[in-house]
Amino acid sequence: MKLLWAVSALLLCCWRADASTAPNIITDPVEVINQTTAILSCNLTESSLPIKGSQWLHNGKVIESSKSTDSAPFTVLRLDKITYSSSGQYECVFLTEPEVKQTIEVKTLPHVAAYKHSEHGNEKDKGVMVCVSHGYPLPTDWTWFKEEDGASTPIINGTSDKYEIKSTPNKTILTINDLSIENDIGDYMCSGTNELGTASDKIHLRVRSRLAALWPFLGIVAEVIILVTIIFIYEKRRKPDEVNDDDDSGSAPLKSNSNANHKDKNVRQRNSN
Amino acid sequence: MSPAPADDSDHKPRDGGWGWVVVFGAHISIGFAYSTPKVLSIFFGEIQEQLGSSSSEVAWISSIMLAAMYGGGPVSSVLVGRFGSRPVTMLGGVMCAVSMVTASFGNSIVFLYLCIGIIGGCGLALNLNASLTIISKYFLAKRPLANGLAMAGSPVFQSVMAPVNQYLLDVFGWRGSLLIIGGLMLNCCVAGALMRPVTVPCKLSSSASQTKVDEQPNNSKTTLKESCMMNLKKFLDFSFFKDRGFVIYLTGNMLFIFGAYSPIMFLQAYAISQGVDEYSAAYLLSIMGLVDMFFRPGTGLVANSKWVRPRIQYFFSFAMIFNGTCHLLCPLMNNYSFLVVYAVLYGMSFGMVFALIFECLMDLMGNERFPRAVGLVTIMECFPMLVGPPAAGLLVDIFGDYKYLFIMCGSVILLGGLFLFIMNIYNYHMLKREETAKGKEQNQKTTENQDQVEMKQAPEVEMGQTEPEAKHKNGTQRDPCPENAGTPN
Repeated sequence: MKLLWAVSALLLCCWRADASTAPNIITDPVEVINQTTAILSCNLTESSLPIKGSQWLHNGKVIESSKSTDSAPFTVLRLDKITYSSSGQYECVFLTEPEVKQTIEVKTLPHVAAYKHSEHGNEKDKGVMVCVSHGYPLPTDWTWFKEEDGASTPIINGTSDKYEIKSTPNKTILTINDLSIENDIGDYMCSGTNELGTASDKIHLRVRSRLAALWPFLGIVAEVIILVTIIFIYEKRRKPDEVNDDDDSGSAPLKSNSNANHKDKNVRQRNSN
Repeated sequence: MSPAPADDSDHKPRDGGWGWVVVFGAHISIGFAYSTPKVLSIFFGEIQEQLGSSSSEVAWISSIMLAAMYGGGPVSSVLVGRFGSRPVTMLGGVMCAVSMVTASFGNSIVFLYLCIGIIGGCGLALNLNASLTIISKYFLAKRPLANGLAMAGSPVFQSVMAPVNQYLLDVFGWRGSLLIIGGLMLNCCVAGALMRPVTVPCKLSSSASQTKVDEQPNNSKTTLKESCMMNLKKFLDFSFFKDRGFVIYLTGNMLFIFGAYSPIMFLQAYAISQGVDEYSAAYLLSIMGLVDMFFRPGTGLVANSKWVRPRIQYFFSFAMIFNGTCHLLCPLMNNYSFLVVYAVLYGMSFGMVFALIFECLMDLMGNERFPRAVGLVTIMECFPMLVGPPAAGLLVDIFGDYKYLFIMCGSVILLGGLFLFIMNIYNYHMLKREETAKGKEQNQKTTENQDQVEMKQAPEVEMGQTEPEAKHKNGTQRDPCPENAGTPN
């Protein structure tokens, strides 16, 4: 009799304990899919614990403006303009002992952007093009296309040594080996797909010829050779005069005088004639 | 012209005429030498991507180039002493061009270390030493001004080459740019071609050869070839360390170089940390370079004046103290206008120090010993230059604050400047003592040589030389003329 009483008391306690530590949060809506605005609400039911306040978290970070010390068992968050930056996991937290929270996922189409919309590569070198994605959920599939004459041909990884695609959920890198000017110049499109849809961006690839820099280089070398030649020729022509000046600094005036004398004599001779 | 030339090279520098063309050539040569390691960093981003190396690996290219440029000093001084400035500068230009052209075909980072770093660095070392030596051959009275103008090449080329390199990178990529820069560096050959060797009229100085016989009875050098071979063997002449003035100069210089380059490297980051935006922070460096550009020749002009020239070592120590004080004040600059003031003052003091740095060495050593002295100084400066910036970076990492960097650099430079100032007072005092002691000895011997000594000392007084220079001139005027004719400079 006593044993039966003890067991039933134990069961009652457990049942009551379960009931008091199993609060239920009803979220509305359960998840947001591709909407421009939304009102997220959480309703705390079946809890007798005191509520000191509530707040919302976005991707693990507390939203300061949503903090409240209101002891009401429900809380609301307005999202006026949902873009890829405001998508993610939203958690409503009730500050009880212990805390209780529930998650609402806000999902949008992926946002795909290229690092640079115009990329350069050198002939026979590698060309690297990068696309990144932001938002939630991140793309699960990435595809690259080459646009030729209006048609998009997909680039498949691993079929040849020429193309290499490395993808992670938030970034994709297309590497083209051994660039050639005839074949590889053009537009490339990266597209990322998640459960809601696909988004893409375009990159234009330019290939520089290896010989492009050769002509300015040869021009500069020619200029240097010409200048050095001019300088040396000028010096050779001046040098004999300089040496004479240095050695015969005293006698130079005498020389010119003697020349003048000769001229005078000539003049006199002509005059006399 | 006096029939028996008085100074140590048996030739009175012309101080003008073709000398200014030589200064222009030196300007180009020094400009490439100092600016190239710095502006090459513009290519590092693309090189890093293409060759798949880390940013610290790529940064080693500049460090190796600087180390080779400073470390190649002694070899360069021997070559300059043997062959003269012109062939050495032209060889330096060719080496630099070859290094850049081969680097443009490189496929690994180690290949770039070898080409740009070692070959390029050695080419720049040849350029630097030869340019400085030729200035000392062509100028004496106006040498500070010539030095200031030539050293101004560094900021000029830095401010010109930085946007040029950026443009080349955009249009041609890093390989094409290195090819074109190789071509541009070939212009150092043009600069070298302008460095006409100084012709020495040896035939006139029969009296000089007489003094050689009279005053050097124990000199057993019979042929000039032997003396040249002795020069070649002495790559590093450690006898310089017995010279008090040289040791003082070297110590002050090493302290300066330790702290000199770190503020430039971290100024932009410090400005950004103080809340300045990126473009304005970049302008600080341009302001500094612009002020530097004008203050180098300006300092040369001031140093040339008759009040400053005899006290040029003190002027140099003042410039260093000014620089150090600037850095110590930098942590107090916390808004943009103050930082601009700091950049201006930094540019001023940096320009002043660098305009005088080699002029003071020329002043201490004289023409004869300058090439080997500068080689020794540059190789010794290698160590503080390679250790300084990483030490500063370490301070920033440990304390997380840039102000300790500026305090460290400022205090080290200030210490160097004060050391130079005090030790120069001591040095001049000791030199005066030694001269008066020697003067008494010579007075007893001048009964035979009195006329010759007076004739030689008169033009020196006219030139207004400093005391140590006068002492060295007296000491080295006995050098035989044929030696100088045989080693064209």
